[in-house]
Amino acid sequence: MSDRFSSADVARQLDDCTFCPKMCRHACPVSTTTGRETLIPQAKMDRLNRLRRGLEPWRAETADPLWACTGCRHCTVYCEHDNQPGLVLLAGRAAAQRAGAGHPALAGYGERFRARDVRLAAAAKENFEDFAESGTVGFWPGCDSLDKGGQDVAAAQAVFARLGVGPVPLVDAGLACAGYPLLAAGLTDEFRWHASKVATALRRFQTIVIGCSACHYAINALYQGEGVAVATEVVSIAEFLARHADRLPAPERKRPVYYHDPCYLARSSGVTAEPRRALAAVAEVREFAWHASDAECCGGGGLLPKTMPATADAMARRRLAEVASAGGGVVATACGTCTLMLRRNAPEGVEVTDLATAIARATDTAFAPPAAPADEP
Amino acid sequence: MTAALTAALETIVGRDHVSPVSGQPAVLVTPASPAEVADVIRTTADAGAAIVPVGAGYRAARLRGLGERRRVHVSTERLTQVIHLDETSLLCHVQAGLTGLALEKLLAPRGLSLGDYPPGILGSSVGGLVGVRTPGKSSARHGFFEDAVAGVSAVLADGRTIHTRVAPRRSTGPDLGRALCGSEGTLGFITAAVLRIHRRPEARLLAAYILPSIDAAIAAAFLALSEECAPAGLRIVDAAEAARHFPAAGLVPGEALLVAATAGPTDLAACDRDLIASAALAEGGRDADPAIAELWWRRRTGGEPSPEPGPQLQISAAPSALRPAYHAIRAAVPGVHLHVSRFDRDGAVIFATFPDGEVGSASAAAATAATAAGGWLLGVRPTALDPYLVALRAQLDPRGVMNPGALIDAS
Amino acid sequence: MAVDPDRVRRELEAIVGPRRVSLRAVDLDTYARDMWPRLLLARRAGAPPAALPTAVVWPETTREVAAIVRAARGLGVPIVPYGGGSGVCGGVVPRFGGITVDTKRMAALRGINADDKVCDVEAGLSGERFERELARRGYTFGNFPSSIYCSTVGGWLATRAAGQLSTKYGKVEDRVAGLTFVTGTGEVIDTDGPRRAFGGPDWTQLVLGSEGTLGIITSARLRLNPAPQLAVYRGFEVDNVAVGIEAIRRVLQRGLRPAVVRLYDELDTFVNGFGHHVDDPAARAYRHSHAPAPLPGEGALPVVPPPPPPPADDGPVGRLLALARRARSHARADAMAALLDRPGLVNRVVGAVAEKIARKGCKLIIGLEGARLRTEVEAALTFAELERAGARDLGEEPGRAWLARRYAVSYKMSGVYRDGAFVDTLEVASSWAQLADLYYSVRAAIGRHAVVMAHFSHAYPEGCSIYFTFAAHADDRAGSEARYDAIWRDGMEAATRVGGTISHHHGVGMLRAPYMAGEHREAMAILTALKLSLDPDDLMNPGKLGLAGARWRS
Repeated sequence: MSDRFSSADVARQLDDCTFCPKMCRHACPVSTTTGRETLIPQAKMDRLNRLRRGLEPWRAETADPLWACTGCRHCTVYCEHDNQPGLVLLAGRAAAQRAGAGHPALAGYGERFRARDVRLAAAAKENFEDFAESGTVGFWPGCDSLDKGGQDVAAAQAVFARLGVGPVPLVDAGLACAGYPLLAAGLTDEFRWHASKVATALRRFQTIVIGCSACHYAINALYQGEGVAVATEVVSIAEFLARHADRLPAPERKRPVYYHDPCYLARSSGVTAEPRRALAAVAEVREFAWHASDAECCGGGGLLPKTMPATADAMARRRLAEVASAGGGVVATACGTCTLMLRRNAPEGVEVTDLATAIARATDTAFAPPAAPADEP
Repeated sequence: MTAALTAALETIVGRDHVSPVSGQPAVLVTPASPAEVADVIRTTADAGAAIVPVGAGYRAARLRGLGERRRVHVSTERLTQVIHLDETSLLCHVQAGLTGLALEKLLAPRGLSLGDYPPGILGSSVGGLVGVRTPGKSSARHGFFEDAVAGVSAVLADGRTIHTRVAPRRSTGPDLGRALCGSEGTLGFITAAVLRIHRRPEARLLAAYILPSIDAAIAAAFLALSEECAPAGLRIVDAAEAARHFPAAGLVPGEALLVAATAGPTDLAACDRDLIASAALAEGGRDADPAIAELWWRRRTGGEPSPEPGPQLQISAAPSALRPAYHAIRAAVPGVHLHVSRFDRDGAVIFATFPDGEVGSASAAAATAATAAGGWLLGVRPTALDPYLVALRAQLDPRGVMNPGALIDAS
Repeated sequence: MAVDPDRVRRELEAIVGPRRVSLRAVDLDTYARDMWPRLLLARRAGAPPAALPTAVVWPETTREVAAIVRAARGLGVPIVPYGGGSGVCGGVVPRFGGITVDTKRMAALRGINADDKVCDVEAGLSGERFERELARRGYTFGNFPSSIYCSTVGGWLATRAAGQLSTKYGKVEDRVAGLTFVTGTGEVIDTDGPRRAFGGPDWTQLVLGSEGTLGIITSARLRLNPAPQLAVYRGFEVDNVAVGIEAIRRVLQRGLRPAVVRLYDELDTFVNGFGHHVDDPAARAYRHSHAPAPLPGEGALPVVPPPPPPPADDGPVGRLLALARRARSHARADAMAALLDRPGLVNRVVGAVAEKIARKGCKLIIGLEGARLRTEVEAALTFAELERAGARDLGEEPGRAWLARRYAVSYKMSGVYRDGAFVDTLEVASSWAQLADLYYSVRAAIGRHAVVMAHFSHAYPEGCSIYFTFAAHADDRAGSEARYDAIWRDGMEAATRVGGTISHHHGVGMLRAPYMAGEHREAMAILTALKLSLDPDDLMNPGKLGLAGARWRS
């Protein structure tokens, strides 16, 4: 698989996209939401091709389309060149940063990331009690859950207890995020340094349960590229809950709940069956028209909420429009970032919930949300 | 008519083929070839007179109302050649004066036909069939008559002759041949057309069914069509109409008669007939004597006369509006006789015949009710796009000589 | 043309607000082209687009479109509509600058009337999304072009597009109940209504195919079919093209309507090697759900390749070394170049191999779909007719294999261009009587310059379309363009001479504009008249479709 990463193969990918009749474009959520041809995967890759060939100078304006991607990989489903535009564009961002052509909204992002990480870890210590530096199982909710989804963290721990696999303490390491946003910002050196810190903390557990799909993907797939090895079993919360789903009490009446696939679970890590199994134990699972490997992105990945905030929110609204026009309903998802994006943009009549919280509610599992959410960054 | 113009026309077509039209400022000219047509048009236009194409249905008296402008009635009566019959491609290239009936007579010995169009329309010349879009020129199997047009030759107002290239379909801009279809000679004088023709079907099956109500019959028809049945003809008749036209069917009031003809390869014709039969059954119907359907078909193809005068009102309705329009007409004029046929892409057509002595007011009441219920009154032209038609005619015919009284009310 | 870009921006922002107008260089560059291969040759050589729009605007309603057209009229700038930009004729190239109107923010499927089986859909909706939504509700529009992933409904209507199943469902122009259309003066027209029953030209048919030169289509009422209950696909084999053509003709003229009939000539059959692309569905599903992972230590992200070295002059030794390096890495490219430099030889040799040595004959793919009972009956009749006509039944597998890979050919384009050659397609049509002539004449004409293969599809009772694929090579951009132009000139001339039409479904754009006069001859007067009535100021996509664009040439 590594030949996707070599310089020669990336040159081939860039040329293949440049000359392709845009076969994947209908799947790209950023270009479909905005209607902008410049943001289809083919045009973004062509743009990077022209930049790296020296046909255009590296400037913030010329490199701008490189940031219009959440890494959702929907384009790869319709690519028979086996191209990876999401990953290649991240590499392009790194090149842009090195050339001083980074995105203006991400000036000094490395510092801001570190500050937020420290702040969220500190706030978590205040809001939650159960922490551990080592053990059999640890819980890593992810930064967006700790930031805006405190009740989902509490619900998850309550469900773990209900399942008899608890307690699952939060990982006590002064860290909240596995570092994917640093890669999305093109800051590869910072990513490597941060990854080694995270890995050191995770190694002290046998199993880590992860609530954020980007963290899950970064740790399981990308850390090794930076020479950071994590022998610990790192499992998504959806898979963890599915393992023990038969211990969940089935409610009298299973309410219908839509399941939204996080892109980094469904298309980067192959996790589609487990969340449905877990949810089906307590609810009647409804599917979006575009689901599983065709799921449409909430807009939260790739730092899009920082670089193109209006578009990111529009993507979330677009994702939920189907539920709204069907008369409303409940949507559950298994990633802290998806929960945040969808919840923030939910139209009238659509309730967005985290998978663990949905399970807690359906099984009348009590949980106490923390007193106050963390401050805005 | 000025003597100069008449003389010029006589030079083109010969004195025998120019005759004055009594009671009108007009002459009738009968050219022998498309080249003569072009010369006639050029000469007439230069003289500032109008050109009125006339075909097989020509009655001079009907054109009296065109006012005092000098005009030349140009008849296609002598343009009756079959230029080319391409049996490999099932296309025939014919001149505009040939009537549909005459063409069918030429094709029949070769086992060919224009197709299952209502025979009543085939009395027109090909030019009239193509150039005048009146209701009824459609068939459930073949579509609308102008769908049969694969190419057109026509003379423009400036005397140029145009030919649209024959191709089954193309992507070379707007369909320029279609501009001439239905334009009644206002954009160009049609001198020839290439028509798609068909081989005689291997089998033709006829069947009749009695349904408990008109609604059931309409539902049965659309059910069969939704299963992709492609009948050669389909007609639904209410009990009053059936009593007059098909007394042998013995319908009681409230019932409806559905007659159907299917055609094509034997298995396919049988399949289509079976689809109609199951649809009728599903809607509570029962088989009736096929002889009823055979009678209908013989009348339709001109083998037997119809007992009554023709319908006086025709309403086109999309499937969603067909039942509401039908019931609206019946509510407005309880004694009206109704039948439904011409099932095609657009929906179907309701034909209304009124009891004696009440035609005027009854017809108006029925038309109003049907239109309110979502039907379209045939023969009434919507005028929203008229400014564009006027502009198009002005571009192609700046002097306004090509059938000026047609389509748009000149006032 | 001296229009002030800031003035254009202000006028457009007054209509749609600041976020839906762009004068940014990256956008102007993207919207300057579609998938016309000739434009790709320039791009590959690193050349900037020859023509750029002044601005791009994204309206969301018909009213906004009308206001934009009126604004353009006041500014004196042209308007170019843009859908998916997937056209292969250069139809969206803003030859004289102006405002490019991207329709993709008008992309709603507004409603379906179940009784009438008509839907109301906005022009900017992607074909694939349109069909998926229809399928969810139990319908199909039946138009499946190989560009369905990247084209819009409006683009289909503007070019009279066809899909792979057009033999049953028709081309798009056969399925339009009405259009909403903004003219060149900014007026809005609806062509709906059972217009068949009323006198006057059918305006729907006059707007369809106008490629943006008469106005902008903003929405349409399209006729739907119920989703097929049954689909039957099969492969047959015939000795040669003549037998295949005759077999198809007999099927269609019996009154049978398969959804798809595709006859591949000897070379196309040979090259395609049906059944050789066995794509493991499990492997494909894995690729769709798993991202590739880097090897330990090679970096979390791929490596952006450096710029290719400039053609440096290192003296004779340096040049030899560079040549050797290139030869090693571009061995495949050079081999293809050698092959494509002798197209006539290749055509003859490979064709001969296919015809005589391999004795593979020609593949014929047939598919039927629709209501269950009728499709079963039609399928039985169709297969029997094919066998009577001399076709040998190969079973379901070739048909299913074709269906599983139906859009695959589009992905093959990149490799050819990457390796320095070019590939394009040329589709024509004629009646049956002229079809053999059309095939041999156009094939010979193209074959003088390129390797060429063809398949016959989009069959009708009266004729058929032929789809030629050709590949060629030249040493540089100028050589490629010259060869490309020669292929089209000779191919189009041959088609016109034999009595075929110059385009069956790809449209005209800039590519075929020089041949419109030969195609329509005096009938161009009607097109010119249409243009003057609907767009008197020649604002709408000027210089396309063979229309003069005289106002803008200075």
